[in-house]
Amino acid sequence: MPLVAAYFRPDSLDEALSLLAGPHRIVLGGGTTINSDRQRSDVEVVDLQALGLDSIESSETELRIGATATLADVAGSDQVPDGLRAIARRESPSTLRTLATIGGLIASAHPDSVLLAALLVHGASVDLAGSEAMPLASVLAQGVPSQAIITAVRLDPTGVLCHAATGRTPADVPIVAAVARAGAGGISLALTGVAATPITVDPDDPVGGLAPPGDFRGSSGYRVELAGVLAARALGGLR
Amino acid sequence: MSNEHSITFELNGAPTTVAIQVHENLRDVLRALGMFSVKFGSSDGETGAAAILFDGELASADVILAAQADGHKVTTVESINTERDLHPVQAAFAATGAIQSGYSAGAMILGTLALLEQNPDPTEADIRDMLSGILDRETAYVKPVEAVKRAAAVMRGEATEPFAPLIVQPMTDGTNSIEYDPTSPAPRASQAVPRLIPSRDVPEMAVVGHPEIKVDAVKLAKGNPAFTDDIELRGMLFAKLLTSPHAHANIVDIDDTAALALPGVHAVLHYKNTPRIKYASGGQSWPNPYPYDQVSFDTKVRHVGDRVAVVAAESVAIAEHAVSLIDVTYEVLPAIFDEHQAMLPGAPVIHDETDTTEIFDRDRNLVHQITAERGDVTKALADSSLVFEQTFRVHQVQQCPIEPHISIAWLDADERLVIRTATQVPFHTRRMVAPLLGLEVKDVRVIKPRIGGGFGAKQEMLLEDIVGHLAIATRRPVRLELTREEEFVSSRTRHPQTITYRTAVAPDGMLIAQDMYVLANTGPYGTHGMTVQTVTGLRGLTSYNAPNKRFHCDVVYTNIPVPGAYRGYGAPQAEFALEAHMEDIAAELGMDAIEFKRLNWAKVGSEMDIAPHLGERAVAEGELDEYPKVMSSGIEECVAQGMREVQWHRRDDPSWVQPADRPHIRRGIGFAFCMHGTAIPFLDMGGCSIKINDDGSFNMLVGATDLGTGADTVLGQIAAEVLGVALDDIKVYSSDTDMTPFDTGAYASSTTYISGTAVMKAAEVVRKRLKERAAMLLDVEIPCTIELRNKRAYAADGRSVSLEEIALDSLHTQEQEQIMGTASYVSQDCPPPFAAQFAEIEVDTETGQVTVTKLVMAVDCGVAINPITASGQVEGGMAQALGYAHCEEYDYDESGRMSNSSFGPYKIYRADEMPEMTVFLAQTMEDSGPFGAKAVAEIPKDGVAPAIRNAILNATGVAINEIPFTPERVWNALHTA
Repeated sequence: MPLVAAYFRPDSLDEALSLLAGPHRIVLGGGTTINSDRQRSDVEVVDLQALGLDSIESSETELRIGATATLADVAGSDQVPDGLRAIARRESPSTLRTLATIGGLIASAHPDSVLLAALLVHGASVDLAGSEAMPLASVLAQGVPSQAIITAVRLDPTGVLCHAATGRTPADVPIVAAVARAGAGGISLALTGVAATPITVDPDDPVGGLAPPGDFRGSSGYRVELAGVLAARALGGLR
Repeated sequence: MSNEHSITFELNGAPTTVAIQVHENLRDVLRALGMFSVKFGSSDGETGAAAILFDGELASADVILAAQADGHKVTTVESINTERDLHPVQAAFAATGAIQSGYSAGAMILGTLALLEQNPDPTEADIRDMLSGILDRETAYVKPVEAVKRAAAVMRGEATEPFAPLIVQPMTDGTNSIEYDPTSPAPRASQAVPRLIPSRDVPEMAVVGHPEIKVDAVKLAKGNPAFTDDIELRGMLFAKLLTSPHAHANIVDIDDTAALALPGVHAVLHYKNTPRIKYASGGQSWPNPYPYDQVSFDTKVRHVGDRVAVVAAESVAIAEHAVSLIDVTYEVLPAIFDEHQAMLPGAPVIHDETDTTEIFDRDRNLVHQITAERGDVTKALADSSLVFEQTFRVHQVQQCPIEPHISIAWLDADERLVIRTATQVPFHTRRMVAPLLGLEVKDVRVIKPRIGGGFGAKQEMLLEDIVGHLAIATRRPVRLELTREEEFVSSRTRHPQTITYRTAVAPDGMLIAQDMYVLANTGPYGTHGMTVQTVTGLRGLTSYNAPNKRFHCDVVYTNIPVPGAYRGYGAPQAEFALEAHMEDIAAELGMDAIEFKRLNWAKVGSEMDIAPHLGERAVAEGELDEYPKVMSSGIEECVAQGMREVQWHRRDDPSWVQPADRPHIRRGIGFAFCMHGTAIPFLDMGGCSIKINDDGSFNMLVGATDLGTGADTVLGQIAAEVLGVALDDIKVYSSDTDMTPFDTGAYASSTTYISGTAVMKAAEVVRKRLKERAAMLLDVEIPCTIELRNKRAYAADGRSVSLEEIALDSLHTQEQEQIMGTASYVSQDCPPPFAAQFAEIEVDTETGQVTVTKLVMAVDCGVAINPITASGQVEGGMAQALGYAHCEEYDYDESGRMSNSSFGPYKIYRADEMPEMTVFLAQTMEDSGPFGAKAVAEIPKDGVAPAIRNAILNATGVAINEIPFTPERVWNALHTA
C-alpha cells in the first residue's frame, strides 16, 4: 500500500478534473494497481467511484464500457460479446477482478494484458474528460494525457474473436498472447508480451520488426518465435 | 480528505463509523475492528487471504483503501458466527478436510457464500473460478472444491453422505507385483475422496483410521483469533527491518540519528548496539550443527535482503519512515551466486570474519564436505562394462506459506520474555534465542499458536531474536511481520544443487554401484546446509539396492537469499535426479522402466545401509551391530493401483500420444518411485502428558507443532483410541514451552510417528490407572481384564462404570489422586513410507508449454490415522511439488536482487488451473509406529518432478535434466534434440 497523503472522492467530472490539477494527484480506479504499489509515496488520490462511470451500454455497432466498470462487470455483462467476456474473466483472479476497472486497465497499459489486446482488435477508442477521445492504441503508446480522465472505452462489438496464448501454467499471465478478430473491416491482430504495451500487428507479417524485451519467462528471441506460432493459431481459429 | 478522517460503512449488517488514517487499507481497519478472519498474505491482494465481500462481491481488502469503503457494505466471515454451531458452509469445509491451517478459510467460506447466493448449483468450473483469487499452499484446492459442492447441496436442501474414504479392494497380495490389465476399471469417486486400500494386518479401530473432523476446525472455520497476529496487546510497537540492497558488502557505518529523532520511534537496533553472539539459525536439536556463522546484526551483509537494522515504532508507517532515515555506509564487495563459481580461485570469500569457525575450507567458500561410502565404489565402477553418468540441476524455490513469518514479544508480569511466534520449532527457538538476548532458557516462553503454513520455512529461529531484543530494549510488546517480498528474500528457500550420478549396472539389470556427487548452494549461511544435503544423500542412495554406494557432497556459500529447510528437506532434489537417471538407464538397457526399478528398489528386508553413515548422528561401520532394514512396504499395491488409475497403457498408444486433432500436441505419462523417511532416529523426541477431568474427558498436552497438518487431531485420535473415548473428549493443547512437554518440532515427517508414540505411551499410562480405579469400583481383582470403550470401563462380566464416575471418585471421593500419564519417545527406527507417483502431461511442441493434466499418487504411509487429513497432506504436497517441477523459480538481476518477489511473477498454482489429482492410501502395518502409522507429509514432494520429466520423455523422446519445465526451457530442449 503506498503512503497516500490525501483522498478525494469528487461528485462530478468537473470537480475531479479540478482536483487532478493539484500536485501529486493521481486517479484512483479500483485500486488494484495503485494501492498495491509500495514504491509510491505521498500521492494524493482522486477516487472516481461516485461519478457514475460504471455503466455498460451497447448498440448494434458500438459497445460502451464506462471507465469504472470492473472487469467482473465486463465478464458478467450480457451486453459484452462472449469472447471478450471470457478474456475479461481470465484477466484477473476472482478477488481482484471485482475491483480492477477497465479505466485502470487502460491507464496501466500493461504489456501482458490480453484484454487490452482484445480491445485493440475491436478497434477501441477511449473517451476522455479534459481531452479529446483517442484511439486506444494511442493511449497505450502515449499514456493518458495529463489532467485527463478516462470516462469510457468504445468499441465495435461485432465480429469473431479468437486468441492463443502461452504461459507457464494454464492460468498464468501469458508470456505472449495473440488475439485476432474478423470484423467488417477485415482481420485485425494484436499481440501481448512483445513490446512495452500490447500492440496491433500486421496479420500478414505478425513478427515483422518485433524486438521484444526478454525476461526470465521468455527471451526476446523466444517471444518472437511464440508470436509467430500464436498469431498463426489465432488467425487460424478465425477460419 | 485530510490525513485523519472517519468513515461510515455497513460492517456485517451494522452501521459502523471508524476513525482512519487516509493511507490505511481496509484489511488493517477491519482487523483493528476485531475481524480477525481477514488475514495478511501480501500487500498486492494476490493471496486473497484478506478477501471480504465488498457490496456482496469477493474482493481483496489489501488493495482497498479504507477511505474507499465509506458508504459501502462489507461482510466478513464473522457475520455468520451467530451461534456455537457452524453455518452449513463452514460445516462443509470442516467435514471435507478443506481446512488445513485455516489461514485463508474465511476468504474461501465468504467466496462460497457469495457464489451460492448468485448460483445455488455452480459447476466445478464456477467453483474453481471463485477460488482463483485465493491462493492456497496446503490443499491443492481439492477439498475446498469438494466443500463448496457439499455446501451447495446442503443449502439446496439435499441430503449428503458423511465424507469418508472410498474403500478399494487390494489388487496385489501386498508383496508381489501383478501384471497390468488395461481393461481393469479404476474406482470412481470425487477426486477429493481418498481411495483407501485396507490391509488384513490392520484391525478395525474405533477412532484411529476414521475421518474425524479436525479438532481445530471450528475456530478456523469461524475465523476466531487463533494466529500469532490475532492478539491485541496494550502499547504494542511495530517493527520494520532495514535489509541490504547489496548482495555482498561491508557495513562501514550506520547513522541512526534521524531515525531515532522521528516522533514515535522507540528503538533502532543494529550492529553498534546489539551484542555479537554467534549462532546458527536452523531449528535443529542441540547442539546445532556448525558453523555458527550468524549474529543478530552483523557488520557485513551477504545477500540482498540480509538484516541491517530494525526499528520499533508506534505504527508500521512510522517504522517504515524511520527505516528510510537510517544512513548506512556500505563498502560493496564482489558477489557470487552460482555454486560452481563459489569454489573457484579468486572468488570472494563470503565468511572472512575470524569468529566463525568450523567452516570446512573458508577460502573456497566450502562450508561442508560430506562423504559416506559402502563397499568399494571406485573398483566397482572400474570393473563394470555398463556405467552410466548423468548430471542434473535443481533450482531455488520458496515455501510460500500464505502467512508470512511473524513474531510478537513482550515481557510478562514476572518480566519473563514471552514470544508468540509462527514457528515449527518452539522448543529449539527458546533454547537458541535465550543466549542471544542475554537470558537463560528459563526466562523465555515461546508460544506457537495456529500457523498459516510453514513447510520448513518456519523451522528456523528467524525473527524471534529481533523482537526479543526490541521488547527488552523498549520494555513494550513488539510485533514484526515480514512483507511478501521480505518472505522471498529475507526468509528461507530450497537449496539449489547440481547432482551427478554414476551408476554401474550388471547385464541383468541389477545395480552394482551408485556414486552420487552433489554440489549444493547454501547461500550465505550454513543453517540447514549440512543436514539438508545429508538427506539428499540418504534419499539418493537408499531407494535402490546396490552393494557399492558412495556419497560426496560439497556445500558452498554464495550470495543468494538463504536456503534452509523446505518440506522434503533434500529429498525432492535427490529424487528428481535419481528417478530421471534410473529411467534413462532402463531405456539404455532396453528394459521397461518400472521393471528395471522394481528389480532394484528397496523391499522388505533390504538394508538401509548408507543411512547410519550420514547425518548428525552418523556412525562408523565398526560402531554398528546391524543396519536398519525396511520392515514394511506397500509399493507393489501402490504401483498397481496407480497404473490402473492413470491408464498406464496409453503411453504406448501412438494415437493417444499424438492426438490427430491437435497435431502440435504430444501426450505422455511418467512414473517415479518414491521412498522417504519417518523421523530422524536417535534424535527426534516428543513428549506428552494426559490428565483426566471431572467429566471423564482428558486434557492432553503435547509439544508437537501442528502447522495445519492435522497433527493435533491425529494425536488426539491416538489418545482417544487408547482411552476408549471419542475424539471430542480429548482436549489438545500444544506447543507452549511453559506448558507442554518438549518436542523437537514439526519436521522430518516425525509428528505422527514420534509424538504419536509418545501420546500412545502416555495414554497407556492413564489407561492402566483407569483400569485399576475401575477395578476398585467394580470390585474386580485383575485390572487388566477391564476394557475401556465408549467412555466406560467394562468388567469381563459386562458390568461397567463410566470414566466420569472414575474421575469423580479419584478426584473427590477416595484415595484421591490426579489420574495422569506422561511419556516421551525417541525412535531407533526410521521406517520408510513408499509411493508410486504418476503424471500425465501434454507438451505443445511448437511453444514448449507443458500442461500437467493429471497427477496420481498411491502412498504406503502405514496406517493412516486419519485418511482425510492424510490425503490432504498428499494433495497439498503434490501441488507444491508441481510448482517446483513446473513453474516456480527465483530470478535475479546481475546485482543479486530478486526480480520476481511477488505472486504472479513468482508463479504458484491457483484453483482454476490445477490438474486432476487422485490419492490412494495403501495400508500396511508398520509395527514400530503408533497403530501401524508411518509418515505421509513429505513423500508427496518427491515424485512429481521426475514423473513429469519422464512423462515429457514419453511424449517427445526428449530428456530434460533441469527444472522447472518452463516453456522456453522445454522449447529449447525440443529444438536442440
